[in-house]
Amino acid sequence: MKFRRIGAPIAVAAIAAMAVTGCTTTNETPSTTTGGTITVAEVNEVTSFNPNTPQGNLDMNAKLTGYTRSGFFYLDDKLNIIPDKSFGTVEKTSDDPLTVKYTLAKTATWSDGTPVTADDMMLAWAVQSGFFNDSTTDADGNVTSGTTYFDYAGDTSGLGLADKPVVGDDNTSITLTYSEPYADWQLINPIDAPAHVVADHAGVALKDVMSAMQTMPRGDAAKPAAPNDALKTFADFWNTGFDATSLPTDKTLYLSSAGMVLDSWVPKQSITLVRNPDYKGDLKPKVDKIVVRFIGDAQAQVTALQNGEVDIINPQASADTIKSLEALKNVTTLTGNQFSYDHLDISFNTKVFKDANVRKAFLMTVPRQQILDAIVTPQNPDATLDDSQLFFPGTDAYDAAIKVNGSSAYDKVDIDGAKALLAGATPEVRVLYNTKNPNRVASFQALQASAAKAGFKVIDGGAENWGSLLGSGTYDASIFGWISSGVGVAGVPQIFSTKGGGNYSGYSNAQVDSLAKQLQVTLDKKAQDDIQTQIDTLLWGDGYGVPLFVAPGVMANSNNVTGVVYYPGQAGVGWNYWEWAKK
Amino acid sequence: MVTFIARRLVVSVLLLLGAAFIMYQLTALAGDPLEEFYQSRLPNKNQLIAARTEALQLNVPAPLRFFLWLGGAAKCIIPFANQCDLGLTAQGQKVTDLLPQALGSTIQLVTAATVLAIVIGITIGIVSALRQYTTFDFVMTFVSFLLYSLPSFWVGILLKEFVAIRFNDFLGDPQLGPVWIAVISIVVGLIWLGLIGGELRRRVTVFLVSALATAAVLIYFSLTDWFLHPNLGPVLMLILSAGVALVMTALMAGLKNRRAMLTAGIQVVLAMICYFALQPLLNISSIYTILILALVTIAVGLLTGFLVGGPDRGLNMRVGAFTAALSAGLILVDRFMQAWPSYLGESAINGRPIATVGSQTPNLPGDIWIHGVDSFTHLLLPTLTLMLIGFAGYTRFSRAGMLDVLNQDYIRTARAKGMPERVVIVRHAFRNSLIPIATIVASDFGALLGGAIITEQVFAFSGMGALFQRGISLPDPNPVMGYFVVIAVMVIVFNFIADMTYSALDPRVRTRG
Repeated sequence: MKFRRIGAPIAVAAIAAMAVTGCTTTNETPSTTTGGTITVAEVNEVTSFNPNTPQGNLDMNAKLTGYTRSGFFYLDDKLNIIPDKSFGTVEKTSDDPLTVKYTLAKTATWSDGTPVTADDMMLAWAVQSGFFNDSTTDADGNVTSGTTYFDYAGDTSGLGLADKPVVGDDNTSITLTYSEPYADWQLINPIDAPAHVVADHAGVALKDVMSAMQTMPRGDAAKPAAPNDALKTFADFWNTGFDATSLPTDKTLYLSSAGMVLDSWVPKQSITLVRNPDYKGDLKPKVDKIVVRFIGDAQAQVTALQNGEVDIINPQASADTIKSLEALKNVTTLTGNQFSYDHLDISFNTKVFKDANVRKAFLMTVPRQQILDAIVTPQNPDATLDDSQLFFPGTDAYDAAIKVNGSSAYDKVDIDGAKALLAGATPEVRVLYNTKNPNRVASFQALQASAAKAGFKVIDGGAENWGSLLGSGTYDASIFGWISSGVGVAGVPQIFSTKGGGNYSGYSNAQVDSLAKQLQVTLDKKAQDDIQTQIDTLLWGDGYGVPLFVAPGVMANSNNVTGVVYYPGQAGVGWNYWEWAKK
Repeated sequence: MVTFIARRLVVSVLLLLGAAFIMYQLTALAGDPLEEFYQSRLPNKNQLIAARTEALQLNVPAPLRFFLWLGGAAKCIIPFANQCDLGLTAQGQKVTDLLPQALGSTIQLVTAATVLAIVIGITIGIVSALRQYTTFDFVMTFVSFLLYSLPSFWVGILLKEFVAIRFNDFLGDPQLGPVWIAVISIVVGLIWLGLIGGELRRRVTVFLVSALATAAVLIYFSLTDWFLHPNLGPVLMLILSAGVALVMTALMAGLKNRRAMLTAGIQVVLAMICYFALQPLLNISSIYTILILALVTIAVGLLTGFLVGGPDRGLNMRVGAFTAALSAGLILVDRFMQAWPSYLGESAINGRPIATVGSQTPNLPGDIWIHGVDSFTHLLLPTLTLMLIGFAGYTRFSRAGMLDVLNQDYIRTARAKGMPERVVIVRHAFRNSLIPIATIVASDFGALLGGAIITEQVFAFSGMGALFQRGISLPDPNPVMGYFVVIAVMVIVFNFIADMTYSALDPRVRTRG
């Protein structure tokens, strides 16, 4: 009895001791100091390795591919197109018809060792041209007949003008021939996901898909054909297969063709990119590792920078953020413009603004400088009035355009001038704006007070559902923002031509229509700028409206990091990551 | 009883369905998910609008869309079928994939804070009640109301500035000036004075002893760069574990109970032996080693109590287990402290340990001790924020509950019988005062997973709160509903448990039929 009482615990203890020693680990060898890690704070988390589908079309997804995918060119901070010859060359071989040849360099390789080939370019072309789609969709987005292969979030109308590419040079080049000149041809970058990976995961032979692409005719929505199974399976994987909530076990889903390759992903916290050992191109990163931490709150990004937890931040700009950043030592704050601007538009189809003089009088009362000083200057001290409807401040074309486009007439509030044009009339103007956006509310209030001095009765037409009211004809003027990619001219007819999908103002000017049409087929950048300047001048002359201000942006870096340059576009702070270095 | 449970269940399910419907409608009404496209100058924006309309089924009116969602969600009830379908987010991610991640972050964030808030809150509340209308009571009342009324984002920012950034700066040259030493010592002295109380002479003694001891410790810390190489060392280990043994014995058995003293004493001796003997094992430990050691520790404590306890085995086993667990905890604390210098030296930390965002340093190499310290430095600020705000409520409730009980007749009877004050307070008063607190604890645990939306945002913990907030700002009902289902079920389950507990605890609440 006695023994059993004591014996049992001893036995338990002995077993436990064995278990304890069995559960130990050997110590990891302490890591040698790394050559350099740069940590970047970003607002959003990655949701997909394919940023080109509607659901994956998120800034962070695009930024991740910026680190991991090479292309034929990239855009620098002045929006110049900089070719990357170590990936491939773009050559315009003919103007009429417009023919462009894309040739891959020998150094272009995916990080699994597979060379980048014309197959990859064919995938990108099929996606970006929508060539094979023959679907008809109703207003709700449901497909009523035919097939949509690739759910592409971008615009297919440009590359859609081209015929099926001709593959050549031992499967390393494609040649595109456009049926009509396409103004933004230089912005076509025919590279997307690795085709062999898509085929492997879709469970189809890449060969079959490529031959389907070579044999299938252009899709015709009027005469939908039976879907091609190989291509459909292939496209279906491209549509959703790259979406993720954590690091996939299959490494091929996040192959890299650029200087960095994804190494780890701690959901909700961070991703880590390491140097791509197989990258042979020119844009070699100087640092070994780039860690991207997901920090949504702007103030939290600032304190993390102050505390040395991150080296570069990219927060949503506000006056408070700038103020707290400027108080920090050893931190460089970079401010500049973003590719979006607030603007006041006149509705041409309303009674009150039929008369051009009333339009001009109204626009003369807009206190643009006051609005700029109140909203933008605290965040971007160098901000100036946005004097062009078509060009973004900071580009050479903008500087040239504002001298001639007639915008100077509206730089200062001119109450007397407005009164003279009104000749005693006191028109009622209902202004639509977003009541949830404090900047728009502030703009409206400033406008209301100023216009009243000239005799306008400005009625508050602000609404939370302003977006669905656009173009409804229930207002006389509207204050809202345009967001654009900053490059290309495809957006111009969209907004300013009579039948443009974004023309909410009912604006119609035959001259603008024909110029916009001409713009779409003009290949030369200089000539494009000329046409855009002409349109700009017509818009100002017609009293289309006035741009209010360009949205400010902010980035900041700790002074132990060099090479960080402000970037206005959606590629964000990582646009030149290969130039980053740690001191 | 069975009908009672059945009735509760039916009511709960109906409640859940009704609330889910309302929640879905409110979310759908919260804004326009297409708004971002109206401002787009992209030529294909109509296509993007159509794509999102289809993805979020916006062409179906919200009241009907709810039933589409419900159809998928209903599959979650089928056990083990793994067919749960809570829909996709606007980014095409499965809500059922996102929920576990969000729950993980939230649990990490709020667990320690809630437990600490409960323990500290109840302790302070009870001491306040025992020292009613003393300076300590007034100060604690003031402090708890002050903290209760502070907004969490502000507390978060203050903590970041002073506990993280300034403390990290301080670690660059960890010397406390004489002013700081004096201030800290006086404050600590005052706290002890308030806690222990008594006549004037006793108070003065308590104040002097505790203030001087604190000053001595702080000077020692400053001189030895303790903040850079913290450790408890054998002497402090011995003092602290002996203290633990004394307190445990005093609270549970009374200092006159020799057997309990012996049990606790044995634990101290064992802890000291383990402190020296186990270091090599700890160096190569994994989390499982620690778990097994913890179980062994508690078993040893129970066993000692069992062997030494004599007629009062149960009591001795409890004393043994608690003392063993706490003094073993001290060994772990010491081991974590030993990892501190190498943690500070990591290139990713660069001598600035206290973090302001996230739950871990990315790509940190090292063993469980380094990672443990890393979790500590990341969780410190959010835990403090939530705890400071949360503990005020518990203080008030436990103080009121304790005062209520202390004025009951049976307490007077117990005192009249000549029972020792310790027994009256710990056994008669404290236990009964816990009943109302149990209600609050139950409902708080239910709400626990709701996350702390603002605290999550301030400290970049992307948990349930962030899931909810992002869903509502688009608005994208599916993640919001995923959040809602988890929270609602938790609240209902815990309220149910609370009801069950009452009827078990208190015969008066038991319902008939």
